Amino acid sequence: MNSKETCRSELRIALRQLSDRCLYSASKWAGEQLVGIEQDPAKFTPTNTRFQRGSSSIRRRFRTNDITSSPATGMSYVSTPVLEEDEVIDGDFYLLAKSYFDCREYKRAAHVLRDQNAKKSVFLRCYALYLAGEKRKEEEMIELEGPLGKSDAVNRELVSLERELSTLRKNGTIDPFGLYLYGVVLKNRGNQNLARTVLVESVNSYPWNWTAWSELQSICTTIEMLSSLNLSNHWMKDFFLASAYQELRMHNESLAKYEYLQGTFSFSNYIQAQIAKAQYCLREFDQVEVIFEELLRNDPYRVEDMDMYSNVLYAKECFSALSYLAHRVFMTDKYRPESCCIIGNYYSLKGQHEKSVMYFRRALKLDKKYLSAWTLMGHEYVEMKNTPAAVDAYRRAVDINPCDYRAWYGLGQAYEMMGMPFYALHYFKKSVFLQPSDSRLWIAMAQCYETDQLHLLEDAIKCYRRAANCNDKEAIALHQLAKLHCELGRPEEAAFYYKKDLERMENEEREGPNMVEALLFLAQHCRTHKRLEEAEVYCTRLLDYTGPEKEMAKNMLRGMRSESSFPSMDAEHFPP
Amino acid sequence: MASPPQPTQPPPMTNAFALTPHKVSVCLLLQTYALPAQTTPPFPFSSVSQHNRLGLYLLALTKSYDDISEPKLEELLNQLKEISGSLGHWLIDHLTGRLSSLSAPDDLFSFFTEMRGILGGLDSVVMEDNQVILDPNSNLGLFLRRCILTFNLLSFEGLCHLVTNIGSYCKEAMSSCMPYETRLLDESSNDLETLSEYENMDLENFVFGKVNEEIEARKQASERVPFHLHGPKALSGLVEDIEVVADPSSKHGDKCGESNAYIHPPGNELRDVDPYGEIFLRTNWQVQGYLMEQADAIEKHDSSFSFNSSELVLRQIKKLAPELHRVHFLRYLNSLYHDDYFAALDNLHRYFDYSAGAEGFDSVPSSSGSNGSGRYEIGLIYLGMMHLHFGHPKQALQVLTEAVRFSQQQSNESCLAYTLAAICNVLSEFGCSSSAGVLGTSFSPITSMDTSLSVGQQLFVLLRESLKRAESLKLKRLVASNHLALAKFDLLHAQRSLLSFGPKASMKLRTFPINVCKELRLCSNLISEFGYESSTMTTDGAFSTTWLNNLPKSMDSPLLPQENGHRNNCDAHRFFTQLSTVPKSVLQLLGSSYIMRSTAWEMYGSAPLARINSLVYTTCFADASSSSDAASVHAKLIQHLAVFRGYKDAFVALKVAEEKFLTVSKSVILLVKLQLLHERALHRGNLKLAQQVCDELGVLASSVSGVDKDLKTEASLRHARTLLAANQFSQAAAVAHSLFCMCYKFNMQVQNATVLLLLAEIHKKSGNAVLGLPYALASLSFCQSFNLDLLKASATLTLAELWLSLGSNHAKRALTLIHGALPMILGHGGLELQARAQITEAKCYLSDPSYSVFKDSEVVLDLLRQASDELQVLEYHELAAEAFYLMAHVFDKLGQLERREEAAASFKEHMMALENPQDEDDPLLNMF
Repeated sequence: MNSKETCRSELRIALRQLSDRCLYSASKWAGEQLVGIEQDPAKFTPTNTRFQRGSSSIRRRFRTNDITSSPATGMSYVSTPVLEEDEVIDGDFYLLAKSYFDCREYKRAAHVLRDQNAKKSVFLRCYALYLAGEKRKEEEMIELEGPLGKSDAVNRELVSLERELSTLRKNGTIDPFGLYLYGVVLKNRGNQNLARTVLVESVNSYPWNWTAWSELQSICTTIEMLSSLNLSNHWMKDFFLASAYQELRMHNESLAKYEYLQGTFSFSNYIQAQIAKAQYCLREFDQVEVIFEELLRNDPYRVEDMDMYSNVLYAKECFSALSYLAHRVFMTDKYRPESCCIIGNYYSLKGQHEKSVMYFRRALKLDKKYLSAWTLMGHEYVEMKNTPAAVDAYRRAVDINPCDYRAWYGLGQAYEMMGMPFYALHYFKKSVFLQPSDSRLWIAMAQCYETDQLHLLEDAIKCYRRAANCNDKEAIALHQLAKLHCELGRPEEAAFYYKKDLERMENEEREGPNMVEALLFLAQHCRTHKRLEEAEVYCTRLLDYTGPEKEMAKNMLRGMRSESSFPSMDAEHFPP
Repeated sequence: MASPPQPTQPPPMTNAFALTPHKVSVCLLLQTYALPAQTTPPFPFSSVSQHNRLGLYLLALTKSYDDISEPKLEELLNQLKEISGSLGHWLIDHLTGRLSSLSAPDDLFSFFTEMRGILGGLDSVVMEDNQVILDPNSNLGLFLRRCILTFNLLSFEGLCHLVTNIGSYCKEAMSSCMPYETRLLDESSNDLETLSEYENMDLENFVFGKVNEEIEARKQASERVPFHLHGPKALSGLVEDIEVVADPSSKHGDKCGESNAYIHPPGNELRDVDPYGEIFLRTNWQVQGYLMEQADAIEKHDSSFSFNSSELVLRQIKKLAPELHRVHFLRYLNSLYHDDYFAALDNLHRYFDYSAGAEGFDSVPSSSGSNGSGRYEIGLIYLGMMHLHFGHPKQALQVLTEAVRFSQQQSNESCLAYTLAAICNVLSEFGCSSSAGVLGTSFSPITSMDTSLSVGQQLFVLLRESLKRAESLKLKRLVASNHLALAKFDLLHAQRSLLSFGPKASMKLRTFPINVCKELRLCSNLISEFGYESSTMTTDGAFSTTWLNNLPKSMDSPLLPQENGHRNNCDAHRFFTQLSTVPKSVLQLLGSSYIMRSTAWEMYGSAPLARINSLVYTTCFADASSSSDAASVHAKLIQHLAVFRGYKDAFVALKVAEEKFLTVSKSVILLVKLQLLHERALHRGNLKLAQQVCDELGVLASSVSGVDKDLKTEASLRHARTLLAANQFSQAAAVAHSLFCMCYKFNMQVQNATVLLLLAEIHKKSGNAVLGLPYALASLSFCQSFNLDLLKASATLTLAELWLSLGSNHAKRALTLIHGALPMILGHGGLELQARAQITEAKCYLSDPSYSVFKDSEVVLDLLRQASDELQVLEYHELAAEAFYLMAHVFDKLGQLERREEAAASFKEHMMALENPQDEDDPLLNMF
C-alpha cells in the first residue's frame, strides 16, 4: 500500500538521482509530483507548505471526500528497492563532466568521461553523446534544408551508442538509466519491439524516471500493445496508464485514473493539466476553463498546455482573457511553440487571419511536428479562402498523426467547400472512424450526402441518426431527420422525429423557426390522421407565433372545428 | 578569391541542385576532358574516340535516370575503368588523388576557381585555335556552371558538409578496395605536379564542340519532363497507407529504411556501417525521370512488377526529399496494380492533398493551376479510374460526374474532355442498366441529352461529344483513344440505321463494320502525327540511361563509327530503337488498335485476318505494350491454335505464355487456360471436369451486377453447353434463357446471336427440331444484320441439321444450305465446324433417296475420312464415333468387310473413351 509518505521519500531520493544523472526533465517531473503530495496536517513545516499556497485551502474544501474515497481500490504495489549508488562519492572527472554537461558542452563532457567505467559515468557519457548528436541533428536539419524539404538528418551517434549499449546489456553491466537510453536509441533507430522490451526493463527496475515512461508510451500505439506490456505494479504505472489511455483516446478511463491519483497527489499541477486535457477532449469547456484558471494562479509562468487553454478561450470567444493569456506567455517565453500558437489563436479570434497564419508558421518553425498548429493553420487558410494551402496544412497534420480527426474533418470541409462532396466523403469517413462519438462529424458527413450533387438521402439519414445518438448539442440532427423523412414521403417517421425535436426544444427552452416548422408539420400530420385533439393542441401553440404560420394555424383550427362539429352532432344523435 | 557576397537565403531557383562529392568528381573528370591543351587528342587520351567516349560518359552521368541516388566513388571508378580501357588507371589515380587532396574548405575554393578556367566565355563563338574550351551552353557546360553557381551560393555550413562528405566518399571507396587504393594514396602527392605539367604540354587542338553538338542535335534537350502521359486509359488503383495502418512499425513509416537495417541479426557488422551518410539524391531532373520510368514500368508490367522493391526505393526518395510529392503518385500506381484498394485510395488522396494536382502534370499546360485553386479535377478523374479498376461502377460514375462539374467550374476544358472519355470507359465497361439517374441531370450542360435515352445511346452521344472536344483541344492521344472507343462501340452495339425515319423505316438493328474500320484507321493516324513532329518529350535521359546500362556492350560496339569496322549489329539496333521519337504511350495506343482489329475480324469471321493482326501486334508493339495487352494477344493466338490445330499445340503455347506472364486471378492467360480446359473436357466427354472448370470461370467474375459482364456471359454460356452435353436439356435451356435476358438487359445484341444459336442446338439435340427452327432462323437473321459471317455459317449448318432431322425428304434443302455455307466454313472455320459440316453433308447424301452408295461412294467416304481425321485431332469422341459409325455403314453396304471392321473398331474405341474419360494419365493436364 502506498502511503503518501513512501511516495514522498521515494520521490525525494529519485529526484536527487535523476538530477545527478542530468535527466533534468524527469527530475523536474518528479519534483512537481513531490510537492504535489498533500502534507499530513500534523507534519506541516513552513518550508513545505510554501508551495501549497493559494488555492490549497479551497482545494482542500472541495477535495475532502475524494481523498478518503480514492485509496479504497486497495491495490498492492511492489516496493522497488531504491537504487543503491555505486559510487557514493562522485569521482572528480564525473563532477567536471557534469559541469560541462550543465553548460551544454556535451562532447566535452563525454570526452572527460572517456575512460571511466563506473555505471554512472558510462551512462552520462552515452547520454552526453546522444544529446550532442541530437543537437547536431537539429542544426543539420536546418543546414541541409532544400527546396524538396530537409534531407533527412540523423543523429550520427546512434549507431555507435547502440553497439555499446547492447554489449553492456548483454554483459549485464547496465543500469536502468542505461536501459532507458538504450530504449531511446532503439526507438530512434526504428526498432520498436526491442525498444519496448528494453524500456519495460528500465521502468520495472527504476520506476521513477518519467521520461522512460513517456518514451514507452509513445511507442504503444494500440491498446493491444499496451496490455501486452509486462509491467510490475508501482504507483508510477498509474501515471503511465493514465497518459497512455489519453493518447489512445480512452478519455473516460484516463480521467478516472487521474482522479484516483489526485487522491495522493492532490496538488500536482501536472495531474490537473492532464485532467484538463481529458475534459477538453470530452468537450467540457467550462470545466477546463476552471482548471486552467486555478493552474495559472498556482503556476503563473507555466507555458506547457496553455495552447489548449487558449483553444478553450477561443471556442468561448473570450477576447480579453485570451489576449491576457497571450500577453502573459509572450512575456514568459515568446519562442515557445505554445506561445506562438496562443498568439495565433488570438489573431484568429480577432479575424486577422494573415497575422494568425504568421504566428502559426513561427510555431511550426520551432517545432515541425506541432500537430495542432498545422490543423489550426489549416482552419486559418480556410477562413482566407485559400483552400489548397489549407488542404496542404491539414494533410501535414494527418501525416504526423493519422489519428487526428480534426484534421481529417478539416480536409473534408475544405473539399466540400470546393464543391467536391464525393471526394470529401473519404475524409469525413476517416474522421468519424476515429471519433465516432462526435455528432458534429456525423452531421458534416450527412450534409455532404445531402448536397444537391450527391443527393444520397438514405445515407444522409443514416449519418443523422448516428449524430442524434451521440448527444447532438446543436440539435441539427433531429430536425434534419424529420425533414428528410418528410421529403422522402414517410410522414410517420417524420412525425416521430419532429415530436422528438419538439420535446428537446421544450426541455432546453429553445424557440425559433424549427419550433414553428415542427408544430406546423405535426398539426397537419395529426389532422390528416384524424387525431384532431392533438392537432388542435399544436395549432393553438402555433398561435403564439407571428408570421404566415399563425394564419395557417387559425385556418386549420377553423376547418377542424367545422369538420368536427358534424361528427359531434352525430355523436349526439347516436349516443354510444 | 573573387566570390560574390553570399546571400543569406538561397534563391528559390536553386531547384534542389546540391553540390555533392559525386558532382565534384564529375567536375574533376570534366576538367580532364576539357583541359586547355594543344594536341589532338589532348594529353592523357590516346585517341579521339577515347576522348569522345569520356565526354559521352560524362554526359550520361549527368542525364541518366536509372537510379535515384548518385553512384558511389567505387562504382564510378569501376565504370571509368570500363570506359577508358588503358587510360582507366591514369584517370582513377588522377581522380582519387585530386579528391583526397580536397581536405579543407579552402581547397574547394581554389578548385572551383580552377573550374572556371575551363569554361569559355558566354559569347565567345569564335574559339581560339589551340584551346579546348567547354561551351557554356552545352549540357556539360551548363552542368559545370550550375556546380560553380551552387558553390558560390554555399554557406559555410554547406561548405563544411561538402568537405566532410568528400572525406567519407573517398574513405568508403578506399576501404572497399584497399590494396589498390593504398597504392594510389602513395602516388597522390605527385598528382598535382604531374597535372600542372600536363597543362603545359603542347598538344594540338581538338574541337570539342563537335561531339557535343552531335549528341545534342540528336535529342533536343528540353528540360521539361512530361510526367503524365498515361492519360486516362483504364488504369486505377490504390496503395496501402503505411502511415495509417495500425501496425506497430507504421507510425514510423518514414524510417522504414532504418527498420530494414534491423533485419540483420544483432551484432552483424554490416549494420554498423553508417548507412545514411553517403546517399545523395541525384538532380531533380534525374529523379523525376526515374519516377517517370517507374510509372511506365508499373503500368506496363502491372501486377508482375515487384511491389516491394519499388516501394523501398520510393520510401527512400520520400526520406531524402519529403517535398517531392510525386512519390505518392507512384505509390498509388504501385498499389493500384497490386490490387490494394485501401493503400491506393490513401496514396491518391495524399498526392492530391499535397500537390493540389499541380505537380507533375505539365503535359496539360493550363493556366488554371496558377490561380491558386489547384487541379483537384485531375484527382477526381484518377479516383474515378481507380473505382473503374476495382469494379465499382456506381462510385466511379459519381466521382466522374463530380469531375465534370468541377472542371466546368474551373473551366478546364481538356480535363473535361478526359473526364468524358473516362465516363465512356465506365459506361462501356460496366453494364449500367440505369445510369439515367446519375448522368441525366448533371450532363445537360455538356450534351443536350435526353434522359429517356438508353445507356447505349447515351454512351454513343458521350463518345461523340468527347471526340469532338478532344479534337477541338488538339489532344491527339485522346482523339486516338476516342476513335478506338468508338470502334469498340460500333463493333459491339447494334444500332438502328441513322438514315431511316418514319413509320416505314426498318426498325432493324444493324452493325456497321465500315464504321469500325474507319475509326480504327483514324486511330492509327496518330502515329503519323507523332512521327513527323519532333517529339516534345526528351529522349535525352532515356538515351543516357540505356547507354550507361549497356556500358560494357556499348564499348564493344562503339556509337561513333570511325572506331573499328566490326560492331554488334544487334546491339546497335537496340540502341537506336530506344531513340525512336514516337512516345511509348502512342505506341501502346496503336498496339491496342491492332488488338481491336484482331477482335473485329474474329467477330466478323475472318480467322486469317484476326491472326495476322495479332501477329502484327506481337512483332511491332511488343516492346511498348503493357503486359495485359500482350497477354490478351497471346490468348488470341492460343485460341486460334486450339481451334485450328488442336489442343496439343495450344497447350504447348499456353505453357510458354504462362511462363511469360504472371497468372494472377482474372488474368487473360488464366481465362484462356480455363476455356481450353473446358472445351477439351467437353469434347472428351469428361463432364465432371467441364463443370468444375466452368464453375471456376464463373467465380472469377465480380459479384456486382453489371461488372465483368463478358466474363459472366462466357461462364453461363459454357454452363449451358455443359448441361447440354450432359443431356439435361431443360436446365440447359433455362440457363440459356436467363443468359438471353441478361444480354438483352445490358444491350448486348451481338452476344444474343450466339445464345439463340445455342438454344437452337439444345432443341436439336433434344429431338425437338421443329422448336429449334425458329431459334436457328432468328440467330441467322441476327448474324446477317450484325455481319457475323462465321457465326452465320455455323447457324446455317445448324439449320441444315435441323432440316435433316425432320426427315429425308428435307435432305435436298439441307444440302443446299450446307453448300451455301461451305466456302465460309472451309475458309475460316475451325476443325470442329469443318468436321460437323462434312458429317452433315455426308448424312445428307446418305439420306437422299436419289443418291446411291454404289455409284458414288467416294464422295461420302472422303468427307467422313476428313471429318474423322479432324475430330481425332480435337479428341472429339462423340462426333468421331458418329463419323466412324457412318463409315462402317457405308463399307457394310459396299461389302468391304475388312474396312468395315476397321471403322467399327475405331467407333468402339471412341465410344469407350467417351464413356470412361480418364484424366489421371492425361499428358496435357499434367502439364500444369
